[in-house]
Amino acid sequence: MSKKRGLGFYADIYRKILIQDLKSKMSYRADFVISTFGMIMTNLSGFVTFMILFHNFPTINGWDYYHMLFLYGFSLVALTPVQCFFDNNWNLRFMVQSGDFIKYCFRPVNVFFYFMSEVFDVKGLGQLAFGIGTIVYAWIHIGIPVTPLVILKLVVFLFTASLFMIAIMNIAAATCFWIKGSGYVMVIMFRFKDFAKYPSSIFSGVFKVIFTFIIPIAFVAYYPSLVILQPDNVPLLSWLSPLLGLIFFWLSYKFWMLGVRKYDFTGS
Amino acid sequence: MNPRRLIALTRAGIMESLHFRLGIFVTLFANLIYLVLVYYLWKAIYDSSGTDVVNGMTFTDTMIYLILATALFNFLEMFVVWDMSRSIQSGKIVLDLLKPMRFRIYTFWSYSGSHVVQFVLTFIPTFIVVMIVTGGAIKMGINLLWFVIATVFALIINYSIEMMVAPICLYTESTWGINIVKETIVLLLSGASIPLAFFPEKVRMIVDYLPFRAVYDIPLTMLLGKNGSDTPEGLLKMFGLQLAWILILTVAGNLFWNHAVKKITVNGG
Amino acid sequence: MENEAVVMKNVCKDFKVLNRHEGLAGSIKDLFSHDYKTVSAVKDVSLTVNRGEIIGYLGPNGAGKSTTIKMMTGVLEPSSGEILVNGKVPYKNRTENCENIGVVFGQRSQLWWSLPLIESFKLLRDLYMVPQKEYDEMIELYRSLVDIEPILHKPVRQMSLGQRTLSDILAAFLHNPAIVFLDEPTIGLDVSMKSKIRSLILGLNKEKNTTVILTTHDMGDVDALCKRIVIIDHGQKIYDNDIEHLKNYFGSYRTLKLCLADGTWEETLIDEKTTDVMDVIMARQKETKITDIKILEISTEDVIKKIYEGGSV
Repeated sequence: MSKKRGLGFYADIYRKILIQDLKSKMSYRADFVISTFGMIMTNLSGFVTFMILFHNFPTINGWDYYHMLFLYGFSLVALTPVQCFFDNNWNLRFMVQSGDFIKYCFRPVNVFFYFMSEVFDVKGLGQLAFGIGTIVYAWIHIGIPVTPLVILKLVVFLFTASLFMIAIMNIAAATCFWIKGSGYVMVIMFRFKDFAKYPSSIFSGVFKVIFTFIIPIAFVAYYPSLVILQPDNVPLLSWLSPLLGLIFFWLSYKFWMLGVRKYDFTGS
Repeated sequence: MNPRRLIALTRAGIMESLHFRLGIFVTLFANLIYLVLVYYLWKAIYDSSGTDVVNGMTFTDTMIYLILATALFNFLEMFVVWDMSRSIQSGKIVLDLLKPMRFRIYTFWSYSGSHVVQFVLTFIPTFIVVMIVTGGAIKMGINLLWFVIATVFALIINYSIEMMVAPICLYTESTWGINIVKETIVLLLSGASIPLAFFPEKVRMIVDYLPFRAVYDIPLTMLLGKNGSDTPEGLLKMFGLQLAWILILTVAGNLFWNHAVKKITVNGG
Repeated sequence: MENEAVVMKNVCKDFKVLNRHEGLAGSIKDLFSHDYKTVSAVKDVSLTVNRGEIIGYLGPNGAGKSTTIKMMTGVLEPSSGEILVNGKVPYKNRTENCENIGVVFGQRSQLWWSLPLIESFKLLRDLYMVPQKEYDEMIELYRSLVDIEPILHKPVRQMSLGQRTLSDILAAFLHNPAIVFLDEPTIGLDVSMKSKIRSLILGLNKEKNTTVILTTHDMGDVDALCKRIVIIDHGQKIYDNDIEHLKNYFGSYRTLKLCLADGTWEETLIDEKTTDVMDVIMARQKETKITDIKILEISTEDVIKKIYEGGSV
């Protein structure tokens, strides 16, 4: 007597866990305040770095200040979902090492879902606000016309762009199923995201291929944002980015699940 | 302090680090890719600027500075804040306090093993690669000695900053928040993410006297022989700044720790 | 429904581990080593567990108990052999298998850390799609078996170890599974909590006819709960029968306790078939003065100790 668990079921469960989680978070106000402050600090620091760079160099690879700012805002928004919904990846290696991970395997639901549902990171919302503000500011200065179609494009491409970073972090986190002490992979991949806010035209040769198709940071902001920034001259890869995003996400999910199957749970 | 104990701690740390063998190779590889990213970004930046020297830094200087900053970052990296919060939550902190050594010294030396491994496996290879690739841009003289001394001081300052921040865990459970604030401030104001030479004049006036600069910027500036570090006065000023901060942070850190530790003895962890 | 809850046939499980060397030089050597060895955690184990049974699955540390349970729950794939749980292969139907099992790993809470217990229960109800009526009945049953009021609205993180274990056991039975695996459920608990938990398990087993597979090092658990025990050591099954049979087998064993002149007690385990108790006492009496004598029947603890130490059955 197997019960059917569809998308509706999962959405419902996620909502319920989220509500409970938020309720209990309210009781740790000090933590919330400090974490939010930390999030604002990182965003501010990123912004300061950006300003210092432009203080010294007026253009980068033909991109002026406002276009770069747009790209920056775009990357911040695209990086929000990975921060909000997939933050538990950071705990994966500790759980795997201590053997606590096994508890996610005893429920009749998808292990990946169950694991990720446990943490919703509210701090990511601060980043979202910061990103939207930056996009709007740059948008006004560049003078892109505001039409429903452009807005729709923006939303769709932001959403699919976010899948790339999720995929990168899934894979980086899942390495811990095979490699002990692989924590640094996650740290460095998370630092790679800082490069998503620069135009990928700066890369050449084999590394252009690597940063486009293997560690796809070029898709976190550059390619998808071209649909808005250069409407007359959109490269094929930009149009393909939603499809590629789905493929990358799916592959990372499969890799993560493969790790669960291959792992021998000796940590106990 | 018995040096045999300290060496034993270092040795145990080295063995523990080596235990994660694939992790070490992966770290090396990931670092390499990170360096490629840094290279392309700054190449594009310098190409766009039209001049070879910006704020006294050539492209090669900037590259050496940033790459070695990353290598230093790996070398200096400590997880004192995380470790402390975990051992507070599990109650292990009580055991650490019972060890026949002062906690501050014990923690420092239990990290020394991983410092040694990181130094040999990441810093030295990176340094050699940079030296060969840039073809003699790093002067081979007395500046190397200054660099090594400044790095040792940097290690102590970095640890002191960690030990300033870590006891906050005794007052709040927000480890992530504390750690990210610390990391962000250190990375930005120490020159690890962008060389301090690029900071606007007025900001530099302040940043120059903060302890963070003593962690990355001072050793690297000495290595490159910039900013007057090739003159006796310049050297004296920089070492003076490092030593002053070591003194201040150690005294302040000890006071804070003694105050914080009362919380454990009162609350029982 | 078939009568067998679990059927294992010739199940083996091997792991590959790196041969590590000692010392600092060894650590450096290991960095490049390919020297793997195969470790057999479970060797050719066959086992049938019937519905409604409570079996004690025993063995010394590292004997392969956890590995077996992980295979039965579908987390690990056996290297060879066949396992059926509720008539299905657990590894291939993990999700489906999880519907019909409950698991408690002692000291490792599976509940949401910061949520009050009742909220965890509600989430589990939704996760397992338990109808509201059945859920309410289960909560009623819990109320009748144990005093749950004090813990129901408490977040798990604020509970004592005993309360947490209790909560975990209740959570494992909530969706009325056919089989519940309990891995050292009473580890680290005080005497009164232990007995509370034992009677809860017995009560649930009786009411719901749930099969319980219990691993433990506490023979008090075994005496209180199990009729049948299975012992494995070095990955091999070395005993599988009623606990009474075991006691009969070792029935000729007696623990002889002699109190010496200085007030200390001396303990000797004697097999009456081969040695006469009186002879031992007399021999000892020639050497020293004996002030008191006790002869005890062998306890489960001693029996198991004897088996672990290599006494074959």
